Amino acid sequence: MRISVMSQMHRSFSIDLPSLIPLQLPSRRETHLWYVIPDEVKSTSLLKRYSQLLSPIEKDGVDQMRGDELKKNALLARTLVRTTIARYQTNKEVDPRSLMFKKNVYGKPEVDWQNCNNQPLHFNISHTDSLIACGVTVHVPVGIDVEDKERKIKHDVLAFAKRFYSADEVNVLATILDPEVQRKEFIKLWTLKEAYVKALGKGFSAAPFNTFTIQSMPGTEGAYNLCKTSEVTADPPEETKKCNGGWKFALFDLADSHYAAVCTEDDQANEGAPTKIIVRKTIPFVEDQLISERIFL
Amino acid sequence: MATSFSFSISMQARVSATTTRFCLQKPASIFHNGKTNLSFSQRHPIPARLAISCAVKQETVEKVSEIVKKQLSLAEDQKVTARTKFTELGADSLDTVEIVMGLEEEFGITMAEERAKEIATVQHAAELIEELIQQKTA
Repeated sequence: MRISVMSQMHRSFSIDLPSLIPLQLPSRRETHLWYVIPDEVKSTSLLKRYSQLLSPIEKDGVDQMRGDELKKNALLARTLVRTTIARYQTNKEVDPRSLMFKKNVYGKPEVDWQNCNNQPLHFNISHTDSLIACGVTVHVPVGIDVEDKERKIKHDVLAFAKRFYSADEVNVLATILDPEVQRKEFIKLWTLKEAYVKALGKGFSAAPFNTFTIQSMPGTEGAYNLCKTSEVTADPPEETKKCNGGWKFALFDLADSHYAAVCTEDDQANEGAPTKIIVRKTIPFVEDQLISERIFL
Repeated sequence: MATSFSFSISMQARVSATTTRFCLQKPASIFHNGKTNLSFSQRHPIPARLAISCAVKQETVEKVSEIVKKQLSLAEDQKVTARTKFTELGADSLDTVEIVMGLEEEFGITMAEERAKEIATVQHAAELIEELIQQKTA
């Protein structure tokens, strides 16, 4: 009886788990966004399998969370990252348990490829109580942020913006009269600014929120650009704004319930070229669902 | 949107005469060859000169805990102590900033954004608050 080598390999490291279906790497102009809805993952046996993928440190991290829901979400976040990245290794099958992670010098999580250098894959995760997302790119850093559209801000939105956002952003928010619309715009800006800081990967102090403005590009839907404010030491001191490229932004609805912001470093060779975002919903090992493919200018 | 685990480790000094608690003022990812290593404290004892006393007023800790509980809409019986990490309670960066705003209002201080976003535990918040109050009244 002939048993193929591949199925033997499957058996050796996936005793409890089915194989992961491999994925094609994103192209240079693409971001792949994967998300999980925790409420859709109910099977305790599936969750148990997921916990077998985690490293001891990750398991500790999950255990430290207070309450079952938070524990479950922490588990799903690590599972989403491990399984998604493992699926993109199309040369050989990669056991999601074998992936190692580290943080860059500023604390941004990265894959530790060990001896396999020059891996093009970048990722970033974000989660809320009800949705966990993972963005994947090649060759350029990526930052993502997701936020529940209905999230209530406990402080006065404008006071919050005046404290933390840039002056230009406050001006934009101040012109919005409807408090609901204003709150939503505030949240959208938050996700865009967070996505940028996370894409930059240099920690909060590298880009305090009030030192940059993100504004929507007129005539587009969901496209934004970044303006950096810096003080020029002149007499009197002036503020200058630099709005040329470097970073691409996209903001869109996710699962009808969330805003998602994606920020990627602009490829110098193709600066200004449109970017495509492919959104898929997933339950690791169970199913994938293509949600949308959208081009952002 | 919590995005990373941040680890803060409090060290117990091996001094039998007095029980002095040392703690790090800033949360830090402890690196050992680039990988997080939880046994750092056992392998590399902190030299005395790095020790920072962290005695904060219990009153400050309690006020901070109240504000945290309110921001995160926690149940009254949810246990929040000095060492509780905000992320363990499900706080994301937006929550942390709102907590900071609440603390600024309560204590009449202003925190720099970078320091504010790095606050990981009730203890850290209390330490930063007392430092800023001291600076104000100095």
